[in-house]
Amino acid sequence: MGFVANTLRLNAEAQTAPLLSVDDLTVSFPTKGGGHNAVVTGLSYQIAQSETLGVVGESGCGKTMTSLSLMGLVPGRGRVTGRIGFEGRDLLQQSEKQWRDLRGREVAMIFQEPMTAMNPVMSVGQQIAEVLKVHEGLGQRDSLDRAIDLLKAVGIPSPAQRARDFPHQLSGGMRQRAMIAMALACRPKLLVADEPTTALDVTIQAQILDLIIELQEETGMAVQFITHNLAVVSELAHKILVMYAGRGVEYATSEQLFDQPLHPYTQGLIQTLPDPDRKVDRLHVIHGSLRVQPAQGCRFASRCPLASDECRAAEPILREVAPGHFVACVKVN
Amino acid sequence: MLQFSLKRLFQSILVLIVMSFLLFVLIGLMPGDPIDNMFEGNPSLTPELMARMRELYGFDQPLSLRYWHWFSAAVQGDLGYSTMYFRPVMAVLAPAVLQTAKLLGLTLLFSVPLALLLGSLAARRPNGVLDSAIGIFSFAAISLPNFWVSLLFIILFSVTLGWLPASGVPMSNDASFLEEAQHLVLPVAVLVMFHVGPLIRYVRAAMIETLSADFVRTARAKGLDERAVIVRHALRNALIPMVTVLALSFGHLFSGALVIETIFGMLGMGKMIFDAIANTDFNLALIGLLLAITVVLVSNLVADLCYALLDPRITL
Ligand SMILES: Nc1ncnc2c1ncn2[C@@H]1O[C@H](COP(=O)(O)OP(=O)(O)OP(=O)(O)O)[C@@H](O)[C@H]1O
Ligand code: SF4
Ligand SMILES: [Mg+2]
Repeated sequence: MGFVANTLRLNAEAQTAPLLSVDDLTVSFPTKGGGHNAVVTGLSYQIAQSETLGVVGESGCGKTMTSLSLMGLVPGRGRVTGRIGFEGRDLLQQSEKQWRDLRGREVAMIFQEPMTAMNPVMSVGQQIAEVLKVHEGLGQRDSLDRAIDLLKAVGIPSPAQRARDFPHQLSGGMRQRAMIAMALACRPKLLVADEPTTALDVTIQAQILDLIIELQEETGMAVQFITHNLAVVSELAHKILVMYAGRGVEYATSEQLFDQPLHPYTQGLIQTLPDPDRKVDRLHVIHGSLRVQPAQGCRFASRCPLASDECRAAEPILREVAPGHFVACVKVN
Repeated sequence: MLQFSLKRLFQSILVLIVMSFLLFVLIGLMPGDPIDNMFEGNPSLTPELMARMRELYGFDQPLSLRYWHWFSAAVQGDLGYSTMYFRPVMAVLAPAVLQTAKLLGLTLLFSVPLALLLGSLAARRPNGVLDSAIGIFSFAAISLPNFWVSLLFIILFSVTLGWLPASGVPMSNDASFLEEAQHLVLPVAVLVMFHVGPLIRYVRAAMIETLSADFVRTARAKGLDERAVIVRHALRNALIPMVTVLALSFGHLFSGALVIETIFGMLGMGKMIFDAIANTDFNLALIGLLLAITVVLVSNLVADLCYALLDPRITL
C-alpha cells in the first residue's frame, strides 16, 4: 500500500518537477598549497522541459565548468559537489557507466569552438553516426543514413556529400550545424549549448540561434544556453541566470530581468548593450576585473558603484525578492 | 598521390646519383687504393710493377672518368668485386641486407606497438603510478648503453639461465626456423629496448596533448567509453606527429643495429659497411653506404605517404 502511494507520489512529482534541478553546485580544483579553489560556488537553478535557461556572465566566471558538471566531464582533478537532479535522480551519485549512457543520449552538449570540437581525421558523417552506434546500436550503414538525415535537418545542403567531408572542408557555420546534428542525434532531453555562436560572425550567429529555437520547438527539449552576450540570450531564453565569479547573482524570467534588473552587475551588463533609442556616443563599460575579489563579502564589491561596508561584511546569497525573481545583493529589498 | 610518389621517386634517384658521385670522390681521395691493399707487405713488388697494375685496373685515370666507368657498370647491375671477400659485391651484400632486414623488421614489429601502448597508458594519468613506472623504464632504455644491455642479457639469459643462445645467428647453415628465431630473440630484445625508450616519451607527450584537445571532450560527451575515446579519437590524431619521429628514428635505429650486430656476431649491413671502410674495400663500402642512404630516402617517402593516409587535411 505504502509502495503504491509512494509510486503515485513520485509519478506526480515527476510530472511537476523540473527536468533539471541543480542544487548548491560547487566545482573546485585542488590548489598547489593543498587547499581547494572553488570556480563555481553554491549554484542552484532549474530548467523545465521545453524551457530555455540563459546563463550569462563574463569570461572565467564558471559557465563552462557548470555545463561540464552536467555531463560529468569536469576536467582533471576538479571536484563537483551538491546535487544535480535530472528526472528525479541525482546525477552526481551515478556510476561512470551510467554517465556514459546519459551523455549524448539524454543530455547533449555543443561547444564554443566548432573548429576544434570535431575530430579532424574523421569524416563528419562518421562522427555523427558514432553517437547512434553507441546509444542505439545501429550498424554502419543505418547510422550513416541517419547521420545524413540529421545533416539535412539542420539545414546543410547536399548532406550526403557533406557527410563524407572532413571537418576542415566545412565552413565555421556548417561545422556548428554539424555539431548540432551530432548533439541532437539521439533526441536528448536537455541540450547544453556552451557559447555556440561566439566564434561565428553575426549573420551566421543569427542563423544558428534560429536553428536552435526551431529544433527546440520541434523536439520539446530543454536548453541551457551559455553566453557572455546578453543580447543573444534575450532572443531565446525564458529564464536567465546571471553569474559572477562562480556565484549566481540574479535569477529571473527573461521579462523580469530586462524590465527590472535588480543586481548592480546585471544593471551594468544591460547598460553595456547598444541601444538604438538611447542617444549615447560611448558604450557603457563595467570597470575593474573579475580577478580582483575582496577576501570576504560580496564578490562584486570592488567593482560595484553601490558598495558599502555592509556589502563587505558577509557574502549575500540569492533571495527571492519578487515571485520567481532571485537576487544576491544586500541593497535590494 | 601517384604523381607525388613518382615525383619523389625521381627526386630520390637524383639524390642517389649525386650521393654516389660524392661518395665515390670521397673514397677516391682516401689515402691508399686497392692496389696498395692487394700487395701491402709484399717487398718484392717494384714501383714499376705497381704502376703497371694501376694502369691495368684503370687507377691511373682521373676520378670523373673512373666514376663514369663505375656508374655505367652499376646501372647494368654489375656492382663490382669485393676486395675483402674476393666475391662479387652483390653476393656479399645480399645475405647482409637480409640479416639486417630481419633484425630491423622484427624490432619495428615489436617496438612501435609497444611504444604506442606504453605511451598511451602513461598519458592517461600523467605523474600517476603507472606513468612513473613507464617513465623509469623508458629513461633506463634511453640512458643504458646498448652494448652494456646486450652483455647483461647475454650473461643473464645465456650464461646464467641458459635459456637463449648468445649469438644472433645459428652456427650451421641449414638451421630450422625455430632455431633461427631463438637466436634472434636477444638481439631483437636489446634493439627494441634501444628503439622504444625515446618513442614512449614522444607518444606520451603527443597523447597528453591530444587528450586535452576539444574533440576528445566532444568524443566523451557523445557517451563513448574510454577505450573508444583513446583508440578511435586520440591515438589516431597523436599518430600523425609520430610519423616524423618514427622516420627520423630510423637512422638512430640503424646505428644501434651496427653495435648489436657486432656484439651478437651477425653479419649484417652495419658490420659489413664498418668492415668495408676499415679494410678500404672500395666497392663494398660504396654500395653499402648508398644502400643506407636509400633506406633513409625510402623511409622519408613512406613517412610522407603515411601522413597523407592519416591526415585528410594533407593532399599529395
Ligand atoms: N582544469 C582546470 N584546473 C583549474 N582551474 C580551471 C581549470 N579549468 C578551468 N579553470 C578555472 O575555472 C574558472 C572558470 O572557467 P570556465 O571555463 O568555466 O569559465 P567560462 O565562464 O566558461 O569562461 P569563458 O567565457 O571564457 O568560456 C576559470 O577561472 C578557470 O581559470
Ligand atoms: S551587495 Fe553591495 S557590493 Fe554587492 S552588488 Fe550589492 S550593492 Fe554591490
Ligand atoms: Mg567557457
